[in-house]
Amino acid sequence: MSLTIDSVSKRFGEVRALDDVSLEIQPCEVFGFLGANGAGKTTAMRIILDILRPDSGTVVWNGRSNTELPRETWGYLPEERGLYAKMKVLDQLVFFSRLHGVKRKDAEREAREWLDRFRIPEYADRRAEQLSKGNQQKIQFIAAILHDPDVLLMDEPFTGLDPVNVALLKEAFLEMKNRGKTILFSTHQMEQVEELCQSIAILDRGRLIVSGTVRDVRGSTGREVVRLAVEDDSEMPWLAEIPGLRVTRRGQDYSEAQVPAGFDPAIVLQAALSRGCKVRHFEVADPSLEEIFIEKVGRVDDSERTLAPKVVRQ
Amino acid sequence: MNGLRSLLPNAWYVAIREYRGRASSRSFVIGTIILAAIAFAAAEAPVILDSLVSSSQTKLAIVVEPAAANMPADARALLNAGLNGSDASTSSPSYVITWLGPDGAAAAERELKSGTYSALLTIDRVKGGSSATPDLTFTMRTDMPSDGREVQSLKAALQSVVIEDRLAPKGSSLAQVTAGYEFDVRPVNPGSSGTNSIGQEISSSLLSTGLIVLIFMAIITYGTWVAMSVAEEKGSRVMELMLNAATPLQMLAGKVIGNGAAGLTQYGVILAAGIAGVLSQDRVRSLLGTSSSNAVGFGGLTPGVVAGFVILFVLGFTFYSLLYAALGSLVSRQEDVQSATSPLMMLIMVGYFLSIFGLQAINETWVRIASFIPFFSPYLMLARIAVGEVAPWEVGLAVLVLVVSIGFALVLAARIYSAGVLLYGQRVGLREVLKAARVAR
Repeated sequence: MSLTIDSVSKRFGEVRALDDVSLEIQPCEVFGFLGANGAGKTTAMRIILDILRPDSGTVVWNGRSNTELPRETWGYLPEERGLYAKMKVLDQLVFFSRLHGVKRKDAEREAREWLDRFRIPEYADRRAEQLSKGNQQKIQFIAAILHDPDVLLMDEPFTGLDPVNVALLKEAFLEMKNRGKTILFSTHQMEQVEELCQSIAILDRGRLIVSGTVRDVRGSTGREVVRLAVEDDSEMPWLAEIPGLRVTRRGQDYSEAQVPAGFDPAIVLQAALSRGCKVRHFEVADPSLEEIFIEKVGRVDDSERTLAPKVVRQ
Repeated sequence: MNGLRSLLPNAWYVAIREYRGRASSRSFVIGTIILAAIAFAAAEAPVILDSLVSSSQTKLAIVVEPAAANMPADARALLNAGLNGSDASTSSPSYVITWLGPDGAAAAERELKSGTYSALLTIDRVKGGSSATPDLTFTMRTDMPSDGREVQSLKAALQSVVIEDRLAPKGSSLAQVTAGYEFDVRPVNPGSSGTNSIGQEISSSLLSTGLIVLIFMAIITYGTWVAMSVAEEKGSRVMELMLNAATPLQMLAGKVIGNGAAGLTQYGVILAAGIAGVLSQDRVRSLLGTSSSNAVGFGGLTPGVVAGFVILFVLGFTFYSLLYAALGSLVSRQEDVQSATSPLMMLIMVGYFLSIFGLQAINETWVRIASFIPFFSPYLMLARIAVGEVAPWEVGLAVLVLVVSIGFALVLAARIYSAGVLLYGQRVGLREVLKAARVAR
């Protein structure tokens, strides 16, 4: 009972979109897919959905190959937002749901329920082109889950939403998780990953850099992070003098430093106390996912590397 | 190709969506109304033209001088028949004759000058020569050309009046002299039904041209709809949602059926307007006050031709719109559809012109051969059916070839489509698509 991606590779001409990627996603978990633009997240999702065929490797859900699974297994929210512009919202939701084998009446009832939940029931009879981008995104989300799929694949579901809608969508995420769905989503926003995901994978240029539970990944560097806040001395210049310690952040509220494995964080606290500082806050933690991401990938964003093969006519 | 096993019901849902989306669009509604109005007007055109032609009657005043008053009693009828035809029962004859006595001459003169009459004919009998009863003489004053049709017909008609006049004293008449005269027209090959009237010939040629134009227009217009609808889905990126919901084959089939049905709806409305126009010709005619009956009907539109048209229409449209869908999947924006489908457009034009030329040479070998090629058979075979010079097995073979070609086009289009819809770029070349199609599902 899991989604297993086994040694999947995919090339588009010269571009190696996925290079021998293997992943195991446990049922009923929320799995975060991290990577810079062009890392291969969308390609991976399309291969899982069997929209694209890999050059090699297999995808298995529940012991069955994805080439044999019915389409309604999957709920897909593509990164590219698109709806039928001239079609009424309810009509499209029912249309997509029926394509997945749901009866018209059930589809209509479910669709109205979700519109209520997303606080947009009055949009049922409007054409999609009359909706704002954020609302279209919510409609797309509903279209992806209306047929009650086992696995949800969401390509950057939170991008472009205001905080209120992000909260609504998170709620829906948790509800789907509680209903026993397996959710895989890609994102750039690390806070959401730490908040929602049990496990993650980081992709870079088609290669899998790291994967596992959030706790394991954060502990995988062997390093720890020390956060320290003292009264009257926000700069703490002496901090950099401690051997082995690398200051990563200086601030009014607190300063942060990375320490290597085997380093006793108590040394930092002692140094502060010996200088007569009044310590307000002292914390030892694993590095944040953002730090790990930047460290592993080396950058937050890459130049434009699209996933689809870019064909330039000569 | 895992889509074949479950074409329905998704292809059906897609078709319904396509049909509704198309048929409820403003351009569809307005286009249908305008085309239906044109069809209705075109059906009435012959009647209106007819009434215009018959309103240009030749008005003729004939003054009979006292010396000619003793001309044969049936001279007037003979003259009328000679000018307006023997079954001159119509109420709008080409020549309107006003017979006047000598006392009407002055008034007729004035009306000739004012243009009410086109010609003023004076019939007299002038003494002279050796004959006991002198011949009738005719003097006409007119500005009509002396070698024109009107003057020539008048001359011929007056000739029979003279003959009748000369026969009368001998106790004979034109009718007696020509009794037993027969003129029989037979076809070149005995047994064939080759004696068409000019009207039938024209209507059969018009019919085949008309049907070819109908198919040509349908394939280009509705085929472009299919390509547009594919490009629209790709452009609005709703394609990505669709790809998870339906297989490329389901989408393709649904699009072709849905747009084809919308096209047929439009054609149905246009044809209905045209038929209503033809059926109401009599009413329009009576409104216009004309009653000649050389109306354009449905001559030559036999059930065989109708069946051939419907079958070739549906198959031809299906074949071409599959190719249109494949080409439409190569572009990302609707604006690029025209340029992407232009090769197909050229092919269709070639077929169209081949069949228009082929109509003039329907029995040439190249026409026969081309009428089996699937790209051209929708037109050329239809032309041959309409002209009526084709064996049933030939029609059957052409239809079979077309059906098999549709099968090939379906597989090819589905492959190009499933690869093409995921490719976004300025313009995707066929080479890249074929490469991608090899690995697509």
